[in-house]
Amino acid sequence: MSTRALMRKLEDFEAPRVVPLGGNLYGASFFLMKLLPARFMLERAADQGLLRPGATICESSSGTFGLALAMLAVQHGYRLILVSDWALDRNLHRRLIELGAEVTIVDRPAPSGGLQQARLDRLQGYLQDVSGSYWPSQYYNPDNPLSYGKVAEQLVDRLGRVDCLIGPVGSGGSMSGTSRYLRTLFPDLYAIGVDTPNSVLFGQPSGKLNLSGLGGNILPSNVDHSQFDEVHWLVPAEAFHATHDLHRQHGLFMGPTSGAAYRVAKWWSRNNPGKTVVALFPDEGHRYAETVYDEDWLEKIAGWSDPPRASPFTVSTPMAPMSGWSRFAWDRRSLDDVLAHASDQHDTAADPRADSARSGA
Amino acid sequence: MPIGAGYAEAIGHHGELVQGLFEDDGAQMRRALVSLPCRQLRSKARFTANNSDQLRVIPASREKARRAAELTVNAFGRSGIGADLQIDSNIPLSRGMGSSTADVLASILAVLDWLGIEAASDDVMQIAVSAETACDSTLFRQQAVLFAHRDGVVMESFRRPLPPIDFISIDTTPGATVDTLDFEPARYDQLEIETFRPLRGLLRTAIKNADARMLGRVATASARINERFLPKPRLAEIETIGARFDAIGFQVAHSGTVVGLMFDASDLKAPVNIERATAALRQSGFEPAIFRH
Repeated sequence: MSTRALMRKLEDFEAPRVVPLGGNLYGASFFLMKLLPARFMLERAADQGLLRPGATICESSSGTFGLALAMLAVQHGYRLILVSDWALDRNLHRRLIELGAEVTIVDRPAPSGGLQQARLDRLQGYLQDVSGSYWPSQYYNPDNPLSYGKVAEQLVDRLGRVDCLIGPVGSGGSMSGTSRYLRTLFPDLYAIGVDTPNSVLFGQPSGKLNLSGLGGNILPSNVDHSQFDEVHWLVPAEAFHATHDLHRQHGLFMGPTSGAAYRVAKWWSRNNPGKTVVALFPDEGHRYAETVYDEDWLEKIAGWSDPPRASPFTVSTPMAPMSGWSRFAWDRRSLDDVLAHASDQHDTAADPRADSARSGA
Repeated sequence: MPIGAGYAEAIGHHGELVQGLFEDDGAQMRRALVSLPCRQLRSKARFTANNSDQLRVIPASREKARRAAELTVNAFGRSGIGADLQIDSNIPLSRGMGSSTADVLASILAVLDWLGIEAASDDVMQIAVSAETACDSTLFRQQAVLFAHRDGVVMESFRRPLPPIDFISIDTTPGATVDTLDFEPARYDQLEIETFRPLRGLLRTAIKNADARMLGRVATASARINERFLPKPRLAEIETIGARFDAIGFQVAHSGTVVGLMFDASDLKAPVNIERATAALRQSGFEPAIFRH
């Protein structure tokens, strides 16, 4: 055990700061949440001999996981190849390059699976060509959800009992992992995943995604559907409004997936007074200075000038068309179970645009 | 070297509130535990020096106690001293209740008493671990500690003592015994190892807030993990009875046979619940015994 590989130089950045947001609602606000699973996956890979000193790490990412890998790679002497696409923010791109990462951009979507699949295809090429290369594979590597025992520890250390955990779902690691750990102590924990329409993660038909970090067109095995009691979907404009609210009301300058989690958490907390609620806020807002925090950019976003829904529309199937904030009682079922049940009853729930569920506030 | 005698007592325990693998400050993994101390269970040691050159223990079966006394004499006094070490203990043997550690600690402390020395708890624990490979955390009464029982070092000192817990003791296999030291240490998988982190977090909060209920959650989770390594027969039945009478959880001897159904001693209804749960357990064919904190 004394020969365990350790990559802890940035460990102090892994922990969330726990911020009271009124009532019993708390935000777990991360500098860069992915530092924890990235470090954990690399340490485990090194322990198992999959990642040798000085070797090359290859990953597909246009977001924070790539940044976390780049920060760790430069600290611990690995070469890093990142496969990304047009969604890569130009400031993040510059930052990755300064960190010594080799960034390659895919611009043509694959016939099926879109850009995400095209990136994976390119990645396979690198893994074959570069000898001794290692793929952390955050979507499929079980060490990703396993790494979140530390977050569960920090939450109970600070708050004691946690009744409800709410967070955005991308790879599935943070929500599936943290919920599972918290349930060893609090089996009744209520877990709510936040996704976006057109993402296949919780059964929506695949379509174009305009909200990076939330949802996806490929279903990661790290999404453990049986952990979720409830799922919400927010359209980008709603997430962006919520991101600004989080900044204006609480001084937290976070990314749009944090905003999405905040919107849902605030709603659930208001309806469940006395329950201790934690919302996961995965990253800070700097990466979005020219997008989510830029008024000119926001003007072009569909629905930006409409007033956001004050509460979600409850759907009877996750396959329903969604024009705005929606929720579904997942009840800790598997995806197959939910979809089989949903196709039994046909979709009675067409989403009424501009109906009474939409608030004029 | 003084002629005369030294006397000391040490207490047993009722297994552990938590036992697992934890990361220390240097990111090394260590096996560690928090014992559930039980002041009704005591080992008393009397060390009487004499003019022989032999250190005898009575009863002669308590060889580890003799060895501990000898190590203490060698460390703090003059080797080759003759003495009688009398051990008198009411702690059941081979149930994971710390009989051996209590004998060892009482013997070390009796020798120190005879020498008129106050030793640091670190030194006492080191001798205890040398005498019997592993040791529990019962020595630490003022502050609860997470104790690396095979290394003899404190991994984490909590701010306060454990909150008061009353419990019903059930021996799940009254006939059988477990040699707590021969019992092979659990080989935890990665999920279990990472699960010990939130357990430790809640342990810290529960002790800080004197929250027995949260401590019950920690103990129950630790006991469940241990089921893969040393399952306790009929644990589910015990749990069901506990739930009926507002038990705050259960704890086990992780390398023994006893289960403790835990109650919050500061809860006014606890005495009645304990009586009723005890009756229900008896009706189900268990032989329960009540221990108050």
